Amino acid sequence: MANYWNQEIECMSYEDMKKLQSERLVAQVKHVYENVEYYRNLMDEKGVKPEDIQSVDDLHKLPFLSKADLRDAYPYGLLAKPLNECVRIHSTSGTTGKRVVAFYTQNDIDLWDDCCARAIVAAGGTKDDVCQVAYGFGLFTGGAGLNGGSHKVGCLTLPMSSGNTDRQIEFMRDLGSTILCCTPSYAAYIGETLHEMGLTSDDISLKAGIFGAEPWTEEMRKSIEASLGIKAYDIYGLTETSGPGVAFECCEQTGMHINEDNFIPEIINPDTGEVLPEGEVGELVFTSITKEAFPLLRYRTRDLCVLSRKKCSCGRTLIKMRKPMGRSDDMLIIRGVNVFPSQIETVLIEQGYSPNYLIEVDRKNNTDTLDISVEMNPDQFSDKMKVMQEQEKALALAIKTMLGINPKVHLVSPKSITRSEGKAVRVIDRRKLHD
Amino acid sequence: MANAKQISVFVDNKPNQLTGVMALLKESNINVRALSLADTSDFGILRMVVNDTDKAEKVLKNASYAVTVTEIVAITIPDSPGQLSRVLDILGAENVNLEYLYAFTGASDRSVSFVIRVDDIKLASDALTKGGIIQLTEQDLSE
Repeated sequence: MANYWNQEIECMSYEDMKKLQSERLVAQVKHVYENVEYYRNLMDEKGVKPEDIQSVDDLHKLPFLSKADLRDAYPYGLLAKPLNECVRIHSTSGTTGKRVVAFYTQNDIDLWDDCCARAIVAAGGTKDDVCQVAYGFGLFTGGAGLNGGSHKVGCLTLPMSSGNTDRQIEFMRDLGSTILCCTPSYAAYIGETLHEMGLTSDDISLKAGIFGAEPWTEEMRKSIEASLGIKAYDIYGLTETSGPGVAFECCEQTGMHINEDNFIPEIINPDTGEVLPEGEVGELVFTSITKEAFPLLRYRTRDLCVLSRKKCSCGRTLIKMRKPMGRSDDMLIIRGVNVFPSQIETVLIEQGYSPNYLIEVDRKNNTDTLDISVEMNPDQFSDKMKVMQEQEKALALAIKTMLGINPKVHLVSPKSITRSEGKAVRVIDRRKLHD
Repeated sequence: MANAKQISVFVDNKPNQLTGVMALLKESNINVRALSLADTSDFGILRMVVNDTDKAEKVLKNASYAVTVTEIVAITIPDSPGQLSRVLDILGAENVNLEYLYAFTGASDRSVSFVIRVDDIKLASDALTKGGIIQLTEQDLSE
């Protein structure tokens, strides 16, 4: 069964793909050099001119971009198109007022939708399907991406957004949803709720799920598949490159095919920046070769990963990435939201607390929990319980405002959190996220 | 006549926290006259009236405890039915807002003492004086 959205691209020979990538890369570098002063300066510093990039083999000559660059250049510094040619933004949470904002032209949206359409078709989707999009809608890319992809494929699309699980199940049953798109933890939660309602997978018509935006394990996949009676497919992406659909899983379920006609992947040594050969573990780097408004070249994702060109039984020749195996920085993904300990630290200092804290992350009933122990400020100590509890609440609210997710704040005694020599252990992640 | 003082200490809600505070007071030969503990799942607020508040404050602060000293109203009333009710009526009539109160052993078998925490200590103290309620001073409690 040939289930491709764009067979020519998805099954293209390596030689042809390399040729296509090279053409697009050369044009993209020129576009960026001419329109993005920030990156032009980086290239000039490195002594690289657009003419030096003749093919993908020259990619390694280009300077890297990191999340820090995105913050420095916020909001327009990496924009490569006039604003009046942009039609939308999406954003990730970021430190104080400095979020990552990505811009899209209509063409960028079309290409992004196309990438998501490939993912839906690879999961068995056709125009006869009913696709329930239970990713969050809004600045988050999840909802918009899969919604767009679903439209492209021609599925009847249910733009549910996340939450209101009873209603999700009601629509799922009444309208016969066949494909579910959401975070894996939400899928697991929907499954649990379904069974709590006394229903089983026989009472719904789902056949496939496309789950991403947070790490999940094979064990979780099996459990979701059993509970919803579906085949569960992984999808990968990041706001900086577009959103979900940078890579997607096929029926083989052994890794995600990267839409490398749009995004050239590299694996580098995170310490030296040196490009590593296929099959080695390193940091995943993407170069957007088709994006117009926000074309990031050699963007360091901080995801640790392996690439493989091994022949895939689905017939696709697109290079595959394994599920990310961890991070080369301290970023946590909690309930699908990117969280850096430094963000929490910023809030603590602003609110007059000691920057000694302990973050504990766990997953209970398929929902991530975030507990932050903070040393109380002796100057703010009151014998009134109400006052102390208000302090806890105010701090939790400030952190929520920064991160977008609700933490549980625990005030503890001054100097009771272990101060370690060297690198402080500030994070305990008890979730099992990687196989 | 100085109002009585209370010393409050922030303690984590986990084993051996109270032990640490009491050991320090013992080492400094400080006597605890009254005590109450308010707690949440995370932490507790230990409130005490001791015979030497200044010394207790110093000792606990040196050991990195979060400590706060507040003036409170301390009263002694007969240990018989209706006595606390009478006190509360007096305070209520003046619209005194009570934060919390706790009892401690009185000076004799027939009396009982209370620590009363209010926001407006002067208002409370005047009302109690007018109502004929015996108030304990800092000196009374340091004996």
